[in-house]
Amino acid sequence: MTILILILLIVLSLYTLSSRDLLHGIIALSAFSLLSAILFYILYAPDVAITEAAVGAGVSTVVFVWAIRSTERKDKG
Amino acid sequence: MIERILLIILFLIGFYGIIAKKNIIKKIFALSILNSSVVILFILEGSKIGTNAPIMEEGVKNVVDPIPQALMLTAIVIGVCITALALAIAFRLYRYTHTFDIDEIHRKLHDEPF
Amino acid sequence: MKKKKYSIFFIFQIVLSLTAVLAVLLPVFFSRVSWPDLARNYLEYNGLKESGARNLVSSIYLGYRAFDTLGETIVLLVAVSGTISIISHSGLSLAKGFGEEKSKKQTYNSISGFNRTELLDVVTGKLGPIVLIFGLYLMLFGHLSPGGGFQGGVVVASGIVFMALGSKTDSSTWLQEAGVLAKIEATGFLFLILASLSGIPGGFGFFGNPLSGTEASPVIYIIILNTIIGLKVGAGIGFMCIAMLGKVE
Repeated sequence: MTILILILLIVLSLYTLSSRDLLHGIIALSAFSLLSAILFYILYAPDVAITEAAVGAGVSTVVFVWAIRSTERKDKG
Repeated sequence: MIERILLIILFLIGFYGIIAKKNIIKKIFALSILNSSVVILFILEGSKIGTNAPIMEEGVKNVVDPIPQALMLTAIVIGVCITALALAIAFRLYRYTHTFDIDEIHRKLHDEPF
Repeated sequence: MKKKKYSIFFIFQIVLSLTAVLAVLLPVFFSRVSWPDLARNYLEYNGLKESGARNLVSSIYLGYRAFDTLGETIVLLVAVSGTISIISHSGLSLAKGFGEEKSKKQTYNSISGFNRTELLDVVTGKLGPIVLIFGLYLMLFGHLSPGGGFQGGVVVASGIVFMALGSKTDSSTWLQEAGVLAKIEATGFLFLILASLSGIPGGFGFFGNPLSGTEASPVIYIIILNTIIGLKVGAGIGFMCIAMLGKVE
């Protein structure tokens, strides 16, 4: 089960770094945080799971979207 | 064993993203991925010696090692602070040079006199 | 000829950096030394007795390794103040109450400048207090179930963001203003220093539990510290997020 989630994490991180639209990358990063929070719950670490879910899918996404909304959204040229 | 190999691949993806991408926001994505991969490594290693979550209810034995979890709590909160500060600096650079591309920023900062 | 030299040097750089990274990472990732379980055995038998908290993670970062928590609160303080000062000098007009406002003629419709719909107001405005109550529960019950200071603090911060997104101009709460959140964070830091020094007169050392010898349960100190850290982390991160929701000109 952990191997499956780690493979999904690798696929999501590759998509984050190679997407043309930066907003898609932010959503993929938020999904990355959610999957790693599920992984922490499977590994018997509930405190770390709560913190990672609240931080990754909440505060970090808000800060990234703020940095994008008043600047540009496209990448690679 | 396989999990450690997958984690080293995740670390190398983050490392590649910081070095080789030209957009500053992609570099900050890669910084966050790097941070997450180290946290997952510590929790994974600490969970191999037990089978229960570290909440001492009645008759709970053989718990997971709780020390890496306590250290990683601090590491996650510091990671989000670093990401926010890096994004503030990137935003400031954009207001001055109107681009996120690191080559153009380098050229503009070295050509125009202050 | 120059291009060929450049590409050989480039390949050499890539190979060198990859070798350096793998030389550091491979002994860590492929070691066959088993994880030592001395600390886990000690904590399993003595953690509940010595600190009174059933959640072993809380007893670690508030009792055995409290210096790390102190360092983390200092890093949070520095990062939040650095972010606010970098943003407020860039010509961006922040939310009401922060920094300098470039043009006084602009009246703010609400705290964020984008198009508002009824869905946003209803969902986030009504869901905000529920998230705040959940965060407060996590802070206060951190010694009995999964939770604690950091966890409750970040949930409180996301609750503050919810309430800031969902408020209209005539019903803004006192939680959104700059002065209130900054004061909460500063007083939280002051109380943390006072609580850490409170064990010294009894002879328990810095960050020592002043109740560990008396009849009162030593878990009260853990609850007080959890609340202080939760308020500080929540107010700090909420302050940073609300300041970013201002209007761009």
